[in-house]
Amino acid sequence: MASITNEGQMPASQAELLYQAQLRKERVFRMHVGISWGVLFLILIFLFSGQHIEFGGFTFKTINVDSEFIFKNITFIAGGLGQTLLISVLSILFAIVMALFAALGRLSKFPPIYALSTFYVSLIRGTPLYLQIFFFFLALPQLGIVLSGIVSGVLALGLNYGAYMSETFRAGLSSVGKGQREAAMALGMTPGQTMMRIVLPQALRFAIPPMGNDFISMTKDSALVSATGFVHELMWRATKVGRAQFNSLEALIMAAMFYWVMTLILTYFQSKLEARLSKGDR
Amino acid sequence: MPVSPIVKISNLDKFFGRLHVLKNISLEVPERQVICLIGRSGSGKSTLLRCINFLEEPSRGKIEVDGIQVDAEGKGKEQRKLIHDVRLKTGMVFQEFNLFPHMSVLENVIEGPVTVKGMDRKHAIELAEQNLDSVGMLFKKDEYPLRLSGGQKQRVAIARALTMEPRVMLFDEPTSALDPELIGEVLNVMKKVATEGMTMIVVTHEMGFARDVADRVIVMSDGELIEDANPDELFSNPKDPRTQALIDRYRSGEQ
Ligand SMILES: Nc1ncnc2c1ncn2[C@@H]1O[C@H](COP(=O)(O)OP(=O)(O)OP(=O)(O)O)[C@@H](O)[C@H]1O
Ligand SMILES: [Mg+2]
Repeated sequence: MASITNEGQMPASQAELLYQAQLRKERVFRMHVGISWGVLFLILIFLFSGQHIEFGGFTFKTINVDSEFIFKNITFIAGGLGQTLLISVLSILFAIVMALFAALGRLSKFPPIYALSTFYVSLIRGTPLYLQIFFFFLALPQLGIVLSGIVSGVLALGLNYGAYMSETFRAGLSSVGKGQREAAMALGMTPGQTMMRIVLPQALRFAIPPMGNDFISMTKDSALVSATGFVHELMWRATKVGRAQFNSLEALIMAAMFYWVMTLILTYFQSKLEARLSKGDR
Repeated sequence: MPVSPIVKISNLDKFFGRLHVLKNISLEVPERQVICLIGRSGSGKSTLLRCINFLEEPSRGKIEVDGIQVDAEGKGKEQRKLIHDVRLKTGMVFQEFNLFPHMSVLENVIEGPVTVKGMDRKHAIELAEQNLDSVGMLFKKDEYPLRLSGGQKQRVAIARALTMEPRVMLFDEPTSALDPELIGEVLNVMKKVATEGMTMIVVTHEMGFARDVADRVIVMSDGELIEDANPDELFSNPKDPRTQALIDRYRSGEQ
């Protein structure tokens, strides 16, 4: 009898061993992926290294970049990082406010509010972001409204992302069960208190990871603002020096690297945040 | 000397669309009485309970709780104030617990007193800890609901309702979502609340609880109260054949 129960339940040490083996496997996989990334990166560098390789009568040439240009202009282009981040932060804050109103409006039983919310989302999602940026910068002055490049950029990006993000918020709000509202109401909370204390905190928690993703793509879409010509962020600086000195290749590579590294850093923080949220009390 | 009842329901009707769910119900509950409401699924038990604190809006009739009278057909700001006052007098415990998952056990319990009553936090914590202790959940006060068993969640939910210091407690099938082995701990807490003198209206399928704790058992069928008696009488000598059928069903289910 005793041996039967023993077979059914694996001894703790054996389960532990299996678990360790599993962990080891995952670690090895991650390590190999890391090495492969390194190799790919080296290949990329090699492609841009300007080498001439003789091979059986053939000459292979890799792409030659002007390293002097890079050294001279790297600080100028890097100077755009601040603007890029500033636009992204301002725009995402504006977008969150818009998204919240749009999502709440979508839940409204008052037809004009509901209509306003759906109208906004439909109009913004039905037109290109590029057009929206130009609309604020170029079309509004015709009506006597002149906005600086950064203001029109933030307005356009914020309105645009707000429309998309409202869906995230709406999903967040509807992820909060009816029982939560009822429990709050039974305690005597007003609808306002129920929203602020019970529903929104849970909805926001649900919405934070996708909001992080939106912020990361915002940092890249902010490049579109350069098209107005008046916001000196990464992309604007790269195209400016690149065109002026016929070194667009180098300038754009530099800008690309800045965007990429920024994205990598933000993604790292994003995944930390996500891990913390999911470990918590949900 | 007749005491005025703490809950008085008069000529209550409730429609869901065309469906007539509560049919002209009148009921008086004296203070400190424990009532068990039984009946088949869909008979309107939850709806009746939820009409008392206006989680469900009754279509017609009057509700009175501890002297606050609300007419179902009242409107506007005054009506909202009355409903709010009634909710302050009633505590509710749900089948699905409905604890706030983003708050710790203690925060769940002080949320009502602090946010709704404006009670000072320190006082609320004192009160909350007392009530958590009395349901045997003080040791989990910093835990989040996710980490509690169903029975523990429900005990916290009871403490949360009690900390609002209601005059009446409403329970809607408080043990129906629990694993069988966890039902006892919740029923024991409810029993304790009852012996401390709380007025309770309990929708339940727990016949043992009804027999041991209830002063009165009321049977609902198709939106009507068809029988109302003390448990001994009702279980041993049901008047209505529908009550008999219900009891038989429970008996066969209990085996
Ligand atoms: N929100 C609603 N909308 C429409 N019909 C409803 C709603 N809630 C309940 N009903 C209907 O009202 C009737 C009574 O429901 P109620 O939930 O009060 O029954 P119950 O006695 O509590 O049943 P159970 O034992 O299954 O919980 C049922 O026919 C149900 O389908
Ligand atoms: Mg029910």
